[in-house]
Amino acid sequence: MEQFEQLLTCAICLDRYRNPKLLPCQHSFCMEPCLEGLVDYVRRQVKCPECRAEHRIPYQGVQGFPTNVTLQRFLELHIEITGELPDPTSGQVMERCNVCSEKAYCSFCSHCDKKICEECKGAHMEILRREISRINNQIRRGIHRLQDTLSLVEKNTQSIQSNCSSVSEEVEEIYRRLSKALKDRTEYLRGEIDRYLGTELRSLTNLKENLEQEISNILSNCDLADKHMNENVDIWDDCELMDAKEIFLKTVEFIRNFEYENTDYSRKIRLVLAHDPNQLVLHVAGYGDLNIANQHFSQGSGMLQPPGPGLMRSKSDHRLASQFRQQEERGYERGYGGDQDEALLGGRKFGERPKTERYGDRYRGTDYGEDYDNDSRPARSRYSRFRRHGQDNDSDGEQPGRGVRFEPQKVEREKVLDTEDVARGPLSGITRLADSPRVMKKLQENESGKKKEKEAPPPPAPQPKVVPKRPPPPTNRQVSEEDEIAKIKKQNKGATTSTETETRPERTEERHSAQRKTPAPEAISSPEESDESLTSLQQTQRKTAASKTGARRASDAGHKKSTRSASSDSNTSTESTASSNAIRTTGAPFTTEEVKQKYLSRGSVDATPRTPTKEPTKPFQSRFLHNKTTTPPSATKDDDETETSSEEETESEEESDEDTKKPDTKEMAKTDIGPLLARSAHARDGSAENARKSSRDETSTYTRPRYGVPKEESPPRSRYARRTSGAQDEEPPRYGYTSRFLNKSKSSAAIPPEEDDHKYSSTLGDDSDSKYGSGRSRYMALKERRQRLARSRSSQQFGDEEDVDEPISPTSCNPSAYLASRGYGSAASSGHDLARSRSSHALKSRDNSPDRSNATEKDGAALSSWARYLKNKYGNRNSGKDKESSSSVTPSSSSTTARRLSLGLPLRSSTELGSSDDDQKNMQGSPTTPPTAATAAAGIAVAVAGTSPRSQYLQKCQQLFEIGSRGSEAGCFTWPRGVAVGPDNSIVVADSSNHRVQVFDSNGRFLKEFGQYGNGEGEFDCLAGVAVNRIGQFIIADRYNHRIQVFDPSGRFLRAFGSQGTADGRFNYPWGITTDALGFIYVCDKENHRVQVFQSDGTFVGKFGSMGSKEGQLEHPHYIAVSNTNRVVVSDSNNHRIQIFDVNGKVLSSFGSEGSDDGQFKFPRGVAVDDQGYICVADSGNNRIQIFHPDGTFLRSFGCWGIGKGEFKGLEGVAMTPNGHILVCDRENHRIQVF
Amino acid sequence: MAALPRRIIKETQRLMQEPVPGISAVPDDSNARYFHVIVTGPEDSPFEGGLFKLELFLPEDYPMSAPKVRFITKIYHPNIDRLGRICLDILKDKWSPALQIRTVLLSIQALLSAPNPDDPLANDVAELWKVNESEAIRNAKEWTRRYAMDN
Repeated sequence: MEQFEQLLTCAICLDRYRNPKLLPCQHSFCMEPCLEGLVDYVRRQVKCPECRAEHRIPYQGVQGFPTNVTLQRFLELHIEITGELPDPTSGQVMERCNVCSEKAYCSFCSHCDKKICEECKGAHMEILRREISRINNQIRRGIHRLQDTLSLVEKNTQSIQSNCSSVSEEVEEIYRRLSKALKDRTEYLRGEIDRYLGTELRSLTNLKENLEQEISNILSNCDLADKHMNENVDIWDDCELMDAKEIFLKTVEFIRNFEYENTDYSRKIRLVLAHDPNQLVLHVAGYGDLNIANQHFSQGSGMLQPPGPGLMRSKSDHRLASQFRQQEERGYERGYGGDQDEALLGGRKFGERPKTERYGDRYRGTDYGEDYDNDSRPARSRYSRFRRHGQDNDSDGEQPGRGVRFEPQKVEREKVLDTEDVARGPLSGITRLADSPRVMKKLQENESGKKKEKEAPPPPAPQPKVVPKRPPPPTNRQVSEEDEIAKIKKQNKGATTSTETETRPERTEERHSAQRKTPAPEAISSPEESDESLTSLQQTQRKTAASKTGARRASDAGHKKSTRSASSDSNTSTESTASSNAIRTTGAPFTTEEVKQKYLSRGSVDATPRTPTKEPTKPFQSRFLHNKTTTPPSATKDDDETETSSEEETESEEESDEDTKKPDTKEMAKTDIGPLLARSAHARDGSAENARKSSRDETSTYTRPRYGVPKEESPPRSRYARRTSGAQDEEPPRYGYTSRFLNKSKSSAAIPPEEDDHKYSSTLGDDSDSKYGSGRSRYMALKERRQRLARSRSSQQFGDEEDVDEPISPTSCNPSAYLASRGYGSAASSGHDLARSRSSHALKSRDNSPDRSNATEKDGAALSSWARYLKNKYGNRNSGKDKESSSSVTPSSSSTTARRLSLGLPLRSSTELGSSDDDQKNMQGSPTTPPTAATAAAGIAVAVAGTSPRSQYLQKCQQLFEIGSRGSEAGCFTWPRGVAVGPDNSIVVADSSNHRVQVFDSNGRFLKEFGQYGNGEGEFDCLAGVAVNRIGQFIIADRYNHRIQVFDPSGRFLRAFGSQGTADGRFNYPWGITTDALGFIYVCDKENHRVQVFQSDGTFVGKFGSMGSKEGQLEHPHYIAVSNTNRVVVSDSNNHRIQIFDVNGKVLSSFGSEGSDDGQFKFPRGVAVDDQGYICVADSGNNRIQIFHPDGTFLRSFGCWGIGKGEFKGLEGVAMTPNGHILVCDRENHRIQVF
Repeated sequence: MAALPRRIIKETQRLMQEPVPGISAVPDDSNARYFHVIVTGPEDSPFEGGLFKLELFLPEDYPMSAPKVRFITKIYHPNIDRLGRICLDILKDKWSPALQIRTVLLSIQALLSAPNPDDPLANDVAELWKVNESEAIRNAKEWTRRYAMDN
């Protein structure tokens, strides 16, 4: 058989004979190419390769040699026997290959659109295969983009859902409110009408009955008279007639005089509408609009943008990448535009031969080189809903720039891989190759292995990424040696599951945080602590100084509890983030290089949506963890309360404080806020602590190195020491008050006696807060307090006295009288001593004020704020302490007086002083009450002052005055946003859309303006926040210029810093701004969702916050305020809450949630803190101002939507003046309202 | 690069599948037209026991023109010069497309067995071979041992 085959083999081509020609020497060879190749054209002869015989070539050429018919028959026979397929090239004519120029049986090559020989074609196919695998790699590398986008889309879906649901809740809420209001009012009105109708009807019926009665009576009288009087019957005697006449006269009189007062009963009831009904209906009908924030650039709606450029093109892949990208994008655009016919493969089915007719003119260049040199990258196609129109134009416009090979007619090429029933990627129009019947067939063939595989392996082209979630088609495709599809599919599955797992933990994490939010550490701890403090206070009352440790332990326990809960909390959060991180890293497996490349290239775009959520969490949490060891403000407060008891105790506590604080500050230094701020914070903390301690504790605190306030001088300290060792009665609060008062009055010596009254009544004022206004005995409170203080004293000077005094019945005397008789009696006994010590104390306090380093003017403000803060604290404590006592004591006659006091009303009996001190402001106007004034009166005066912080805010709702109206003239506004108070109580307004700052005096008189539109020095573009530092410099958040500008007090430009960006010291729409006592500038970097801190010269100090809703994260923080206790209050607008940070960015507390109940917010904007820590929030979505206690509990709210006084339309910044006024930027009404 | 003609592929395949005894021809990895050839010295010849390396290159118009063959291993042979060029008629004018790589290599092997000093290429060797055949054979053996045996 082998020999037989050999006989059928041409000796030249070693292949089966094709068209064998018989030479005269009887040797046979294929006609072409074998015999042709042998021709010696010069000699026109052919030399037999076998026998070397030379033969003349016939006239017609080698074709002229006779065909070896016998051999052909043998060939046919052989084919029959072996069943071999006929030679596919039989009957074909050889042509020159267009690539290698060899003569061969050429066929059309789709790759180069030429007729080429098999060899070249094979090579080309090889090239294609390699290209495909290369592109596939790129796709692999790039697919994560789509996956990212997918997760982003999922996130966006969530956020849009939550957004929509929250909005619909809002709508629902408003609907409920409106309908409730409407229903209530309607019912009320109906009831009123009914009532009115009833009463009127009743009286009318009554009247009717009376009238009927009258008529019948009179008629009967008339009848009787007609009948019986005419006749001269003398049944009537004179008397009777007289009477009858009288009756009749009376009747006449009555009838004449009777006048039905029609008006009485025709009073028409009329529905008087407060508002024009049409207007009302209009308002209700259009009570809200859905404002869909336009997604310009990356800011705005807070939706996440897909990350930046997709496939990277490496140099080697330049042509392929661009070429395929073009294809892809074209398919993409078209596909998206609904023009599916012209999708990816030009309408062909996968694997089908393209139509060949036109191939000639399809090419201009014949070479790859030319092709790709001509290629230019088309614009990236972006999936955007808003870009649909003009797509065709786009693609047309791009064509000239496209590579030659992608000329429009190319599209006519039929694509074999495309079929109707194949799943197409909905966005890109890329089909799923595995679903193409042709591919399936190929794969099956491949798998069966019967046939030699000629076709290029199914290109694992781009589509799998587009439809990753489709279930695998039911055909059985099994793994063959190059079954990439299966692999891809596996990876697809992996990818989808990985994205799922990627998102799932995040969701759960969010849920965690949501849960976490509700039982915030402080929320947990504070009730406990208050309990603890209560019990400790009880103990304090019962026990002597020696047994105070128990109380301390109790409070300590509470404290510990709070820390523990906080730390465990943070633990869980770190865990969850860690796990989510871990999961994230298990995403699509890219080589490090690729990933690096990707990330580097995408860096800038990527940074916004992703990194902020991931990276900053870690440092933050660690910080969080550490810092939680410090006492939260409420805890310190509680601690402080117990602290007062004894000297030793305070010391030990301080030691423990010290222990906790030292590592803490170290930690601060480590945080990204920077050592500078940490140091200063420490210093401030120290001084703050110092001041606080000094007011209530022994001198020993002063000598502690940790409270090393540089300005501290020894003489005052020693004086203080002397003094405190003497008598400690009532000192701390008085100290607070004293200093404040001193500063206000600017006279230190005159006031002391009065101050005590102030002190007392401050406790009174707080006690008599409306909450506890049930007439509980103030006396009792005072007594307890005294008792306690007396006990805590080391030198029991007054202790005995007081003990003796105690049995005095409280019911008979009013508190001031009691004070006069008792408190002052005792005070007077050591009056001289007290007075002296007090004055020294005052001096001391000046020296030790945290702002001591600066001008005395500033000192004053700071001191007073401290004093207020302390007083406030004391007040709170007293109210808490007095709770139990109030229940046991019967209300006395003094309760009415007390109520008057609590309401800030003067007592009639003491009008001389009280009336003048009616108001906080007035009181400040006449601070120096003569010391000789009646103690009772003084007490009242102070009672008024004592009620100030709370009751003052409780009274707020009446607009005092307003500034401005719409316009661009001086004193007018166009969308005022920020407002601030200068050191001279001037009102500084960021007149946003007039691009200027306006300054008014405290009464609202225009003083000056500066700035204009532009981006130069001193020019603004829609400035937002404004702040004034202690030396009167204006600090402006120049919003659209993404920078901060600083102006001197006269409005001259000093400097600017910042530009747009996300790096440190750069901004994205900076909004609110504030500054603290040390001049640090805090900026709400709104679109970067963070707060940045700068030195007053613009040096970046630190930042905190990142996009998110977890604790410590921010979403569009708008305004910011810093209290004098260095609590940084931020309106976390899109999270509908207020967060309070310390200066290092650690969350101290947060409060508020979305809603319109008390203490809830809708997009809170402006925040302000007064010098006692009360927080004022502009609840812009609810168009109201809310005021909170320093601990974040709700105090009151006022205002509603409208244009009238005390009504708001779109709130922006708020500010609080030192005299307790609240300035509100009423944006849409273009005015500032002052309350 | 033009694709490899079917004939070359076939020849290569056959060389691999049915190697000629005493001859191995392996195409170069990077160039399928270039073969690394090793021919064993035929028995009863002065070249017995030697392994002679050759290079063989199939020109573009192969099989219409003869392959180019050259000894790489030094060999003391009247028809092979110091550069390894071979004086063999079928590699020159007597080439026929019906010849193949294997036939060429067989011819070369035969040439080792039967030196032809009358058609010399290395004249000194041919001279010695004609004048003193035994010494020439001794030299050839010596060269074989020296160059073709220790690899």
